[in-house]
Amino acid sequence: MESSPFNLRRAIIWIGRLVPRPPLGVALSFFAMQVDSYQLLPPWGVNFVAHTLPFAEIALGLLLLIGWRLRIWATVVTLIMLGFFAAVVRSYALGLQINCGCFANPEPLTIKTIYRDGALAALGLLMTIFAFIEARKSHPWSGAEKASP
Amino acid sequence: MIRRRALFGTIGLTLLVSVSVLIAKAAPQSAAGITDVDPHKAFGSKNAPVIMEVFSDYQCPSCKALFLNTNRQLMDNYVTTGKVYLVHRDFPLAMHAYSRIAARYARAAALLGKTEPVEQAIYQNQERWEQSGDVDGTVAAVLSPAEMNKVRALVKGGTLEPLIDKDYAVGQMYRVNQTPTTVFHCKGQTYPYSGAMSYDILKQFLEQLLSQK
Repeated sequence: MESSPFNLRRAIIWIGRLVPRPPLGVALSFFAMQVDSYQLLPPWGVNFVAHTLPFAEIALGLLLLIGWRLRIWATVVTLIMLGFFAAVVRSYALGLQINCGCFANPEPLTIKTIYRDGALAALGLLMTIFAFIEARKSHPWSGAEKASP
Repeated sequence: MIRRRALFGTIGLTLLVSVSVLIAKAAPQSAAGITDVDPHKAFGSKNAPVIMEVFSDYQCPSCKALFLNTNRQLMDNYVTTGKVYLVHRDFPLAMHAYSRIAARYARAAALLGKTEPVEQAIYQNQERWEQSGDVDGTVAAVLSPAEMNKVRALVKGGTLEPLIDKDYAVGQMYRVNQTPTTVFHCKGQTYPYSGAMSYDILKQFLEQLLSQK
């Protein structure tokens, strides 16, 4: 069998190599500094969040995409987004001169950050509400079974 | 049904993209070597594997916290041991009435080799002089009359202003817009960070940087 000229796996690996990035340990400890800048957690809490949250977020994102146990994971994601939103609002209200730490590029925490994080939390909430509404309705396949003799 | 699935998919994808970017690696920016370093405001070995450029404003409370809570341990454990080259950059914010004056005094003291006692005095008495504007009195309290005369001459001489402006311009190059902002350089990568840092968490980051092969 001839190999395809466009190998997706190889393409992803090469794209990954082209993007300059620090090792994972450096990235996570830098993220820990950003978590620490919110002045919400003791050092052990900062480390726990910084070393687990990124992986939990990837896992939750994938679970949302496949749609398995959607109500549970959508609720968890929404709670996390609301937590982020609360942390950002608190820091803004306290006038902390920090970076948001929300995205890869350093960006100061401004009112724009609050609107954006608020919108993302609202999207999460909307998704959770839809997931619960959807679950109340009967499944179309079970409907087809009832119709058949 | 298909429309609902598409809706879930769109919302889920939006959230996935958002959170994935959140864990994206710390943005490495252009790794140009640092320029315009005033040797009187830089500490440690120039050949240290990690360079820290700290942009600060003497009137900013977070800069005070960084200096009083973290700087001493950083100097003792990383700067004097040759692991970190610490470069202080003046970045007086326009919103602070006396920060540029304080920067002039601190820089004049640095030229006399009196950086540490003067910075200590400026930060420890920040609340006092930011009310009265008496930076001169604050600095005079920790210097001898002869040293103070030299400092005053340098402050009035106007030669320090271009040095402060040069630091400010370097900060603008990094798009610094708040203080304190620390730019870490290591192995050709740059990590800009804003806000005060607790020493324990900073130590972890420095150890990770130093352990890179």
